Amino acid sequence: MRFKASIQNTNTFTKLTASFNSLGPLAWVKLDAEHVHFTVIPEQGTQVWAVVSIDSIFDTYTVQSAANNVINLEVPLVLLNRALKTAWNASSAQIRLTKKDNVPLLALTIVTTSSSSHAGFPTAPTNNDDGFDAPFEQQLGGNSRETIITQEVPVRVLAPDVVAGLHEPQCREPDVHILLPPLLQLKSISDRFTKLSLIGKSGNGSAAPRTRLELSANMHGCLKLSIKTDAMSISSLWTDLSNPELDPSQITMDIADHPSTKMKQLGSADGRSEEGWATVRIDARDWGKVMSVGRLGGRVVACFCHEFALILYVYLPTDNGEQESVLTYYLKTTGHGTPLSS
Amino acid sequence: MVVLNFTLTPEAAAKVHDILICLAKFSDTVAIEARRERFTFTALNSSKSAYAALTLDGNQFFASYEFLSSHGGSDGRFTCSMYAKALLSVFKARLNDPLRRDGAIDRCEVSIQDRPDATQCRFIVKMVCDQGVIKTYKLTYEAVDVMHALFDRNAAKNRWSMHSSAMKEYIEYFGPRNELLDIVAGQDGRAIFKTYTDKLQSGKDILKHSLSTAVAVNTGDFEEFKVDSGLHIVISAKDFKAIVAHAVTLKTNLKAYYSQPTRPLQFSYGSDGVLCEFTLMTSGDYDASANATPAPQQIPSRTASQAQSAATERIEDRSIRSEMPPPVEPASRAEPRRRIPGSRKETTPKPPQPGSQGLFVSQDDEDARWEPVDYNNEEETLGWDASAEHDAALFPTFRDNASLSRTETAESNDAVAPTQRVSQIKGLW
Repeated sequence: MRFKASIQNTNTFTKLTASFNSLGPLAWVKLDAEHVHFTVIPEQGTQVWAVVSIDSIFDTYTVQSAANNVINLEVPLVLLNRALKTAWNASSAQIRLTKKDNVPLLALTIVTTSSSSHAGFPTAPTNNDDGFDAPFEQQLGGNSRETIITQEVPVRVLAPDVVAGLHEPQCREPDVHILLPPLLQLKSISDRFTKLSLIGKSGNGSAAPRTRLELSANMHGCLKLSIKTDAMSISSLWTDLSNPELDPSQITMDIADHPSTKMKQLGSADGRSEEGWATVRIDARDWGKVMSVGRLGGRVVACFCHEFALILYVYLPTDNGEQESVLTYYLKTTGHGTPLSS
Repeated sequence: MVVLNFTLTPEAAAKVHDILICLAKFSDTVAIEARRERFTFTALNSSKSAYAALTLDGNQFFASYEFLSSHGGSDGRFTCSMYAKALLSVFKARLNDPLRRDGAIDRCEVSIQDRPDATQCRFIVKMVCDQGVIKTYKLTYEAVDVMHALFDRNAAKNRWSMHSSAMKEYIEYFGPRNELLDIVAGQDGRAIFKTYTDKLQSGKDILKHSLSTAVAVNTGDFEEFKVDSGLHIVISAKDFKAIVAHAVTLKTNLKAYYSQPTRPLQFSYGSDGVLCEFTLMTSGDYDASANATPAPQQIPSRTASQAQSAATERIEDRSIRSEMPPPVEPASRAEPRRRIPGSRKETTPKPPQPGSQGLFVSQDDEDARWEPVDYNNEEETLGWDASAEHDAALFPTFRDNASLSRTETAESNDAVAPTQRVSQIKGLW
């Protein structure tokens, strides 16, 4: 079993791991010849299934194993993220699977070179008045120094039959699909709404009340985010968003029969009509965790299955010629009625 | 009867704040030892594995310094211990603010009220601020005997020196919460600083281990590096971070002296009348091969791990004090009060944020706003707060609490009589 790669884009890799880490502590990482798959399945809440093209993170990349050259690992995301963060100014960074004392590790080797700009490094021959016995003769080459940092992240290797039981959720064809507005905007508004709804409920301790956001969209470019409590009802409406065209090759049915085609007949572009909305209710905390993916700056298409589920497809920004990387988030609606209080 | 009066410039008071921040990381209580020509803060941690002594030079550090003791003559001293937190709330941050904002002082006057006939013995700090405002703090203290850790630099053949700001850069790579730091002198011209918590063991909890970080530094990047090749020495990572964080405030070189694992290690640095010495317990690296540790050189009969036992005076110090009959001074012995050439008194940098976990570089706000909001912990709340608690921090009060817990330093444990010559006690270690 061999895995070795040089990291081409530590920034993207760091942000990826940070986004995944907000959902759950552990990721199943599947390495194969073309892609790196990251899957986070928390005990409850949103799952993410991500397929990342190798060249969006790595430069040179080798993966070998007895099981069809596929390696499955369970990786603690906090540690991987922390390790990657220290590579922010690295001149090169490499990651490989290794073993120490029989414990599998992902070893991240970071090389930093910095020309010593601050006074912390000896530049001139050291004068020998510091009380040490011997003068220190060694001179620096070129006034730049190279430091090698090794971060070791303990991992667990998963056998193929362990991961064979993990399946990506299946969902019916969505009623509405829409390109979301900038996530920072969406996140700030939903955070604000959640905060407002918690006023007076004194969310001290772990027994903070659960808050649910209601998200609706129609096939005329409208998205509505609202929150209702006993005391108030607030909503925010976006219009003029785009509903991407369906790719006939991606769906099994005739486009004319697709639920979204029927939804197109209903509702209006100003969002005032009561008809044509597909709605899901989502736990506000869970939504906040999902919004964490905004740091990657990708396009996000939201697919609404009315009263059932919300699926977000996050397309990572790519340079030309790169294969596309997609992160798929599966959010379940949390049912009807008044918000659960605990 | 003891007379102790000294005055601090705002600069020096800010340095005292930095010193206390550092010592508070080692112990809840700080001991003070005043002598005729110097003033020392010491701290010993609860497991007695780390001892810190930060000495302020009477002439150089203070604007004025006066110490008189009715007993003991020239060798008389005054010792006591206080809560580090109590001192810290007097020596707050931003005492030295060039812009003269809130908290800035003009000067700081400290005196001791210690008379057998007085009803109250107090450590009195007067902060003289602008517009004639004087804040007076009276702190209680506990009379204790101060112990000093023994460290013999002659036996410490391994030594290195590096500028603290460079070292700070390296420790920023360290994962938080790691307990141990292994300093390895590699064979390939590199020194390795490795932090880890414990030995990795395969099993269920493997993923709960902390991040183990190794930073390999060219020995050429050190001011001096003279360590036996292949030597591992393990110290507490937390102590090391605390020491480096303080050394950075003095913008000075950090020097390490050690012999071998299980023997104490000393870090030393100082400038402008401040001399800081930290004596730490060490151990060997768990995965160091047996032959990597050099054979013990003339280990004394005393059990090795208990070697940093107490004595009333450090031996080095004794040899350079003018009032002592000077023994033959070994050539390698450094004069600790040496001025670091080129180091100027500057405005002290911001002290490290206490309790800050943000050791990592690039902790940008950009990233933080993408984190899910923790509504339980949210400081921003809409509503009313009728409590007056906000003001509590502005007016620190001290309760007259006589039942201060006795610290370890309280035990009088003089191993060496204060008049003994160094040559006489040579055989002890």
